Amino acid sequence: MYKSGNPYRPIETEVLDVITETPTIKTLRLKPREEITFKTGQFIELTVPGVGEAPFTPSSRPSVTDIMEVTVMRVGKVTEKIHQLEKGDIIGLRGPFGKGYPLDEFKNKEVLVVGGGCGYAPLRSLMYSIFDISGEFKSIFFRGGCKRPDEMLYRKELESWHDRKDLNIRLTVDVGDKTWKGNVGLVTTILDDVKMDYSSGVAIVCGPPIMMKFATMKLIEMGFKEDSIYLSMEKNMSCGIGKCGHCRIGIYYACKDGPAFQYSKIKGTPEIWA
Amino acid sequence: MRYISEDNFFALLGALRSDYEVYVPVKKGDKRFYKRFIPPTVQPIEGKKKDGEVLKPAQTDDIVIGEVRPVEPLKAFFYSAREVVAEGFKDYIPHSTDKPFAIVGVKACDLKGFKVQDYVFSGKGRSDSGEKDGDYRDPLYIKNREQNLIIASDCTCAINTCFCLALGIKPHPQEDFDINLSQIKGGFVVESGSPKGERLIKKHSSLFEEARQGYIAERERLRTGVIKEVEGNIKENHVPHQDLYKGIIAKNIESTIWPDKAKTCVECGACNVICPTCHCFLLYDQKDEKRMERLRIWDSCMIKDFARVAGGANPRPKLWMRLRNRFEKKFDFFPKAAGIYACTGCGRCISACPAKIDIRDVLKELVGNV
Repeated sequence: MYKSGNPYRPIETEVLDVITETPTIKTLRLKPREEITFKTGQFIELTVPGVGEAPFTPSSRPSVTDIMEVTVMRVGKVTEKIHQLEKGDIIGLRGPFGKGYPLDEFKNKEVLVVGGGCGYAPLRSLMYSIFDISGEFKSIFFRGGCKRPDEMLYRKELESWHDRKDLNIRLTVDVGDKTWKGNVGLVTTILDDVKMDYSSGVAIVCGPPIMMKFATMKLIEMGFKEDSIYLSMEKNMSCGIGKCGHCRIGIYYACKDGPAFQYSKIKGTPEIWA
Repeated sequence: MRYISEDNFFALLGALRSDYEVYVPVKKGDKRFYKRFIPPTVQPIEGKKKDGEVLKPAQTDDIVIGEVRPVEPLKAFFYSAREVVAEGFKDYIPHSTDKPFAIVGVKACDLKGFKVQDYVFSGKGRSDSGEKDGDYRDPLYIKNREQNLIIASDCTCAINTCFCLALGIKPHPQEDFDINLSQIKGGFVVESGSPKGERLIKKHSSLFEEARQGYIAERERLRTGVIKEVEGNIKENHVPHQDLYKGIIAKNIESTIWPDKAKTCVECGACNVICPTCHCFLLYDQKDEKRMERLRIWDSCMIKDFARVAGGANPRPKLWMRLRNRFEKKFDFFPKAAGIYACTGCGRCISACPAKIDIRDVLKELVGNV
């Protein structure tokens, strides 16, 4: 929901810092000139003046309300320009949009978070939110995969999570290198040792479509209920308020009703994995 | 119920010009187009330019209040094909300084389009998503909806592509107008449909008189005649009634209807822009860093890149998938989300399609396959 009177106008936002994460991924530290509070899982639209707008899910802690971090992979016209931004540049920001993860519904449950590739970005924000109230969950599992160790987003931070007492974490890469001591294989190969009661647990999946497809199939096979699997749908969200029509999935709009959906809600619609 | 003579009616249109940009349907060949109303007394000389537009002397003879819907859909007066929706970072809504529109001769099929457009732009909350009404309102549309004046009118005939009755609409307006005109000999039976319409009649009360019983009887007789014409159309073209549409998309998701019907499609998007219920748009930022300007432009779900994401993934890479998606939106999404089929039976898409894809045939096959 937007606070602004005009849902299409962006808020002036200063780029405080640009952090290079991997050769194709950067994180922007942003300071919007008007305070924006978001719930983890909600997304925003970034405007590069004179170029255009594109949707991203913040990767930072929602409880920090003056500064927002957005992690951006270079894939298209707008992200190309975002990667050229420097400290002090002014861009635009709209949002937050969408529903966010229903954290309250996850409380007192066993929670499994499965991430792949750039899908770590929104999941980092989710994990911060979970860590803030980690005592309220029965147990917390994180399973992450990506192609190669040098493409692992937030690698240092993820590896430091191994020390957390409130988290069971395993990471994997498709192809290892000298620096990699962990598992090699797809993320679906490190799900079997998640020891929990699957039928009452919750799984949150975010990653490339193909990874989400196979992870979902695997989770169902393991015994997770279809309405306990939350998937982040990467669609062409533009207006953010369910009007422009681009991000429709069945009877929902990813921008307004998502972008995370229970699998049970969208499984009948064609084309969800593309 | 009131009555207004033809002469008084044109006087009324002239009077409305002080508060509104008045648009009337004008006949050109066998089609009707909305044109700005110029009263006979202030006609500029032919060929003289005014506001950059060549104005031809208005001939009230060309104005057709009855007949059927014009070529352009009504939505263009409420949400234009290309408009600025934001400028820079300042929180204000770019408003044009023009007067609101008074649109004359609006037909019942176009008025049904409001049911869909209002759902989208007024931000009707979805109870199953815990939303409140107005959570997702569009201030530009709402302003136009509040300020524009709708002078609707009965259809006085049907053309072959008309099939409104199949969508549960009669060929004479019953709601969503300010005033409605039913053409009878020498004038119109007038009905007000909103407080705004009632105020308008009061303000210009000298132009109206009480409708005599005979006028109302004539209106009913004419209405019955047009209904018969549309019924004839529907029968001739075997158009199924909307009562049979439930589940037609779900049951035909994997049907060969889609690739069959999409064979001739040239992806022009005419069916979208001409449709009174299609609402999709593209937000486009002007490529000028110094003057940020965001445009909203009508978009088409038939175009290949409509749902494509920056990473390259496209949920509907094939044309037939996009055709299926168009029907899914109209006959599955809208009934589920808003309790209405997003088709008004206006038949514009049938006339506009260069590939001769006929929505009536598609519906017939979809229903036949259930």
